Amino acid sequence: MLRVENLHIGYGQIEILHGVSLDVKENEIVAVLGANGAGKSTLIKTLIGWLKPRSGEIYLNEEPIQQLPPWQRIAKGIGLVPETGRIFRDLSVEDNLRLGAYLQSEAIIKEQFQVVYELFPILAERRKQTAKTLSGGEQQMLAIGRAMMSNPRLLLVDEVSMGLMPILVKRVLQVIGELRNHQVSVLLVEQNAYEALKIVDRAYILENGHLVLQGTPQELQENPKVKAAYLGG
Amino acid sequence: MDFAQNLSNAIILGCTYLLMAAGLTMVYGVLKVLHIAHASVYTIGAFVGVLVYSWVGNFWLSLLIAMIFSGVFGILIYRFSYYYLLDVPRTVPLIASIGLFVMLTDLLQKPFLMGPYQRAFPAGGAGLPRIDTPWFSITSKQLLIFSVTIVLMVLVYLLLTRTRIGLGWQAASLDREMAAAVGINLNRIIALNFFIGSALAGAAGVLVGIYNNSVFATMGDLPSYKAFIIIVLGGMGSLPGAILASLLLAIVENFLVASIGYVLPRDSIAFLVLILMLMFRPHGLLGQE
Ligand SMILES: Nc1ncnc2c1ncn2[C@@H]1O[C@H](COP(=O)(O)OP(=O)(O)O)[C@@H](O)[C@H]1O
Ligand SMILES: [Mg+2]
Repeated sequence: MLRVENLHIGYGQIEILHGVSLDVKENEIVAVLGANGAGKSTLIKTLIGWLKPRSGEIYLNEEPIQQLPPWQRIAKGIGLVPETGRIFRDLSVEDNLRLGAYLQSEAIIKEQFQVVYELFPILAERRKQTAKTLSGGEQQMLAIGRAMMSNPRLLLVDEVSMGLMPILVKRVLQVIGELRNHQVSVLLVEQNAYEALKIVDRAYILENGHLVLQGTPQELQENPKVKAAYLGG
Repeated sequence: MDFAQNLSNAIILGCTYLLMAAGLTMVYGVLKVLHIAHASVYTIGAFVGVLVYSWVGNFWLSLLIAMIFSGVFGILIYRFSYYYLLDVPRTVPLIASIGLFVMLTDLLQKPFLMGPYQRAFPAGGAGLPRIDTPWFSITSKQLLIFSVTIVLMVLVYLLLTRTRIGLGWQAASLDREMAAAVGINLNRIIALNFFIGSALAGAAGVLVGIYNNSVFATMGDLPSYKAFIIIVLGGMGSLPGAILASLLLAIVENFLVASIGYVLPRDSIAFLVLILMLMFRPHGLLGQE
C-alpha cells in the first residue's frame, strides 16, 4: 500500500529525519512511535505533501507520489487526520464532513455520511452545529470522520491522542483500530506508545531521526529498551 | 425629504464600494494579501467597457465583456505575481501589489492605451426607468447600479454558499493547507477567486464610469484606498462585514458631506471613519481576532 524509501526531511538548514524507510501493507495498521519532537509530524507532513523531502521516495501502490500536490494524493486514496485535528472551526459539522469528500461523487458522499455517522453517532446529532462548539474529543472524531468521508485506502493519523483525556484516548484509538473493517490501511504516529500498541499490527520506533526498531506490539512490549523508554518501565 | 434622498444616494454609492470591496475581501480571505492592484482591474474594466460600448452601443454586452476581461486579467495578476509569493511573509505580496498598481496605472496612461484624458461613457441608464416618490428620486443610472449590484451579489452569494466549489473556497479561506489535504486544488480555487473578484471590480468600473460619464487612467486611485478602508472596517476577509462596511461608509460620507462638507472633503471623512473605528473596534465590524 505505502512504501517509503530512505526519506531525508528537514527545515531550512536542519535535517530532522535522516533516511527513513517503512511500509504499510494492505489493511494493516502501523504506528510510528516517538517522543515529542522526534519528527513524527514532519513525516506525516511529507507524506501528505505539505513538505518536500530532500531525497527519498514515496510510493502508493508502487506508484511514486512525492511529486504530486496534496489534492492529487487525496484523489489517489489517502486521507489525513492532522495533528490537532485542524477541523474547519467556523463551518458546520456537516460541511466539514462534506469537505472531506470534496472529490467524491454525490452517491459516495451519501454512503460515506452513513458510514461516518455510524462510526460517530454524536456527529449526526451535532451535524448542524458549528464545529468549534464541539468538545475536544468530538472535534477529534470530526477530524477522523472528515478523513473517512473520501473512503480512503490509506489513512494518515497524526497523534489523535494529543490533548485528550485518557478515557477519550482509549476510545478514539479503539475507533481507529476498528477501521480495519473498512478496508483501510492506517499509518498512525503516536507519542502514547502504551495505548497505540494495543491497536496496531506493527510499529516502528523513531529516535534521533532514524527508525531504530520495528516489530509486532508483543515484540516491542517485551523489548527492555522500549519498556524503559516508552512504556514507563 | 432630504434624509430619504441622502439615504438613497448613499445606498447607490455603497453599491459601487461593495462591488470593489467584495473582490478584495475574497482575495484577502484566501491569500491574506491586501490586493491594492485590484483598483487597476477596476480601471481596466471601465476602459474595456467604454471601448466595447463605443463599438457595439449595447450596455449589457459591454458590461459582460468588461467583466470577463477583468476576470481573466485578475487571474493573470495572480499567476504572474502572488502565485510566487504564497509562502513568504504577507508584507511581500502587499508591496508587490502596490508596485503592480503604480505600474499598471502608469501603463494605462500611455497614449496607446487610455492616455491622459477622460472618455465619456454615455450609456445612460441602459433604458431603465427613473423612479420618483414624494420622498426621494432614483435616476435611471442609479437604478442601474443598484440592480446590477444586487444581481451580482446574489449570484456570488449563491455560488459561495450553495455549491461545492463555494464550500471549497470557504475552507481555503479558513485553512489553506488543510483545504489542500481534503482534496481541494488550491490553484484552481484561487484562480476562480481572482476571476470572480476581478469581474466584480470590472463591473464596478463600468458602472462608475457610466455614472460619472467619465473613464480615465487614474480613476482607480480613490477606490484603491476606499476599498482598503472598507475591508479593514468590515473585518479583513469577512464578506458580510464588507457589505455592512460599504453601506456604512457611504452613508456616513453622504450625511457628513451634507452637513459638514465645507469643513472636510468627502475622502478625508472616509479616513476619519476608519480611525474612529479602529479606536473602538480594532477587529472591524464583523472581524474576529
Ligand atoms: N516548521 C518548522 N520549522 C523548523 N523546525 C521545525 C518545524 N516544525 C517542526 N520543527 C522541528 O522539527 C522537529 C520535529 O518536529 P515534529 O515533526 O513536529 O515532531 P513530533 O511531531 O514528533 O513531535 C522538532 O525539533 C521541531 O522543533
Ligand atoms: Mg507532532
